[in-house]
This record gives sequence, structure tokens and C-alpha cells, in this order.
Amino acid sequence: MTNDDDRDVLAAEYVLGTLDAAERERAEALVRSDAGFAALVRDWERQLGELHAAIEPVEPPPQVFERIRQRLAGVERDRAQVVELAEMRRRVRRWRTFGTAMAALAAVLVALLVTSVLRPDLWPAGMRPAAEVAGGPAASRLVAVLQQDAASPAFILTVDVDKRLMTVRRVAALQPTGKSYELWLVSKQFSKPRSLGLVGQQEFTTGTALAAYQPETISDATYAISLEPEGGSPTGEPTGAVLWGGKLIETLPAARP
Amino acid sequence: MLTAAELVGLLRAVAAGDQAAFERLYAATRAKLYGVVLRILRRADLADEVMQEAYLRIWNSAGQFDPAVASPITWMVAIARNRAIDLARKKRDVSVEEAPEALEFAADIADPLAGRERSEELARLLDCLGRLDPEQRQLVLLAYYNGLSREELAARIGRPVNTIKTWLRRSILAVRERLGS
Repeated sequence: MTNDDDRDVLAAEYVLGTLDAAERERAEALVRSDAGFAALVRDWERQLGELHAAIEPVEPPPQVFERIRQRLAGVERDRAQVVELAEMRRRVRRWRTFGTAMAALAAVLVALLVTSVLRPDLWPAGMRPAAEVAGGPAASRLVAVLQQDAASPAFILTVDVDKRLMTVRRVAALQPTGKSYELWLVSKQFSKPRSLGLVGQQEFTTGTALAAYQPETISDATYAISLEPEGGSPTGEPTGAVLWGGKLIETLPAARP
Repeated sequence: MLTAAELVGLLRAVAAGDQAAFERLYAATRAKLYGVVLRILRRADLADEVMQEAYLRIWNSAGQFDPAVASPITWMVAIARNRAIDLARKKRDVSVEEAPEALEFAADIADPLAGRERSEELARLLDCLGRLDPEQRQLVLLAYYNGLSREELAARIGRPVNTIKTWLRRSILAVRERLGS
């Protein structure tokens, strides 16, 4: 009983299909990492594979190819989506270089936000964001100003990266009746934008959708808002125009206590 | 069924992204692959799912097919069988008892290819299998055709799993020796 025999028996049993799930996974890992083992598997597939000649053909139901066709179209759509995403990033970059007017306005908004975090008492009572007061000043709090042009900031997204909590503040966005605003996370890690849920009718919407993402993903992503049919995108991807987009910036200096 | 050379040509076109060629490849091979996965999974819904995955895999990896290593249909059957066995291992509820016809099939596989056209390779393999002890030959064929795990084989033929393991090993090494490598 040699080691070579063991490898050959493992390869043959993998091809025959007699391994359990864990053993199969091990064999598959070997196929990927060990060219010699992969060659043994190919040999057995060629030799034992001849046995398929005894299997009677069975006509599959016609919908099987229809589903294959749909999934193939999905693969092609994903490729198109990546191109679209690149276009969106380009637009986001353009917004970011819009110049001093927007930067200045953003700075004012950030200042207001920082104030709301650190000194909520300076804000008129009716405008105090309760969630932010409860959270207190956090070093890992990030903010994105989602706007289309310098004159019209529409939403302010605040993210507590540690707690993965996000709050969307509606600033000047009018909502057409029968439509909903949906927030998206756009990251190069995913082939498609990921929905973070709908932006509510009220001034502040707090959500936990970011709990599913890593802190680095959250900080690096671009955030976008699109106008969707009431109740949100029916497809899971933005169907309406992406109206606002932006990236997160820190609300406090990077130095931490 | 198209000839092997025609299938090789279709796989090359598929590797280049030709969807019409993919459709012709599907039309030429679907019944064989469906027969293979249905025998293993014995449930139409699971077989449908595996067919989708197998053909998407074929679409994506057609460029890796090497006609010097395997015939096109053997290569495609191997892809479909692998997906089917993966799924069968994950779904414990695919029970062996649901398939009485599998037993009947196993009973007459002393020569499963009687009356069929055989390639030279197949003739050699059958010769090797024919020299095995009948119970051990049945084990190998049951495993290949029905995708049974060692535990399922043990339950099916009423022997301990360790015996199955020993028999499989002995059969595999005997086949390898006869086929030469």
C-alpha cells in the first residue's frame, strides 16, 4: 500500500462519486492545487467515463434550456453592469471635482453635521437628530453628501462604521407621488449595486443594512440614490435614474485618541 | 448525436462566445446529460438545476476542453456527473430507496453495453471490469451509474462500509493495472 496508490484510489473514487461531501471537497482542492493529482483525475474521467455509453438518453423538459438562456443573459448583463458602473464612478469623480462651490457647501454641511454630533444643543430643538445625540461623538463616523450639483444637496448619509448603523437625512429632495427613493452601495467588490433599502418619507431614516458589509467596504464604497417605483426597485438593481451619489468622508480628523 | 469531430468544432465555437453553436451543442447532448444526472439524482427538479449549472460551466470552460485528453461527450458527461454528485452529497433526502429501477439496472450490468457500439477504450475497460469478482464489479458500476457514496453502497448491498472501501480500492488498483498507465 503506497502513497501513490492512495492518491490514485482517491482520484478514482472522486471520479466514481463514492466520496462523501468533505472528502470530495478535499479532492477538489487537490485538483486545483496539484497538477499531478489533476492529471490522475483526468485519466480516470477518460477511462471510466466510457461507461456513459450504457446510459439511455432522456429528453429534458423544454424549460431547462430557457433557464440556461436566461442565466447566460444574466452573465452578459453583469458584464454590461460593470461598464455602467465605471461610467457612474466617472460621474462621481466629476462631481467631486466640481470645484470650490460644492466643496465649500459640503464643508458647511459637514460642519453642521459635526455640530449635530458634538454639540447637538446648538441646534434648534426641532432639528436635533435624536439618534446622533444618543450615539455621541464617534471616531469612526463618516458622512456622505449626496448631491447632484452644488446648489442642491439632497441627502446626507451618516455612517457609524463600528456599529454599522446608517442614517439618511433628507435635505431638499422632493418625492414625486407614487415613487420611492432607494439607497445603493456601489463597490468594486460587487458586480452590481447593492440595495441598502428605501429612504423613508420622514426627515431621518435609520437603518442597519450595512451590517452585512465589512468596514473597509463601507468606507470605500460610493453611495447612490435612485428614483424607483413605489416600494423599491422590482429587479434588485437600480431601474430608475441614479440621481445622487457621493463618497463617505470623515466627520472628525483622522487622529484618534 | 453528432460525431465527436462535430462536437469538438461546436465546443471551439462556444469557447469563442458563439451562442448559436451553444444551442446546437445543447440540442445534440442534452438527452445524454439529462439521462446521466437523472439517474443519479432521481428527481426532475434537482436534475433541471444540475443541467443549468452543467451547461453554464460548459459555456464558461469550453476553452479548456482538450480533444487530445478526452472525447467531447465524455468531458461534458464528467462535468454533469460532478455537479450531480456534489448535489447528491449535499441533499441527504435524495434517498436510494426511491429508485427501485436502479436495482434492476444494477442486476443486468454484467454486460451493460450488450449490443452497443463500443469504442476500443470501452472494450478494454469492460474487459478489465469483467475480470473482477462479480460483487465487486457490481459495486463499481453501481457507483458510476447511480452516483452512490460508500455509505449508500454499503446499505444497498448489505455489507459494512469498511468492506466497501476495501473492495473499491482493490477494484480500482486491479483496473489500473490492467489498463496500464
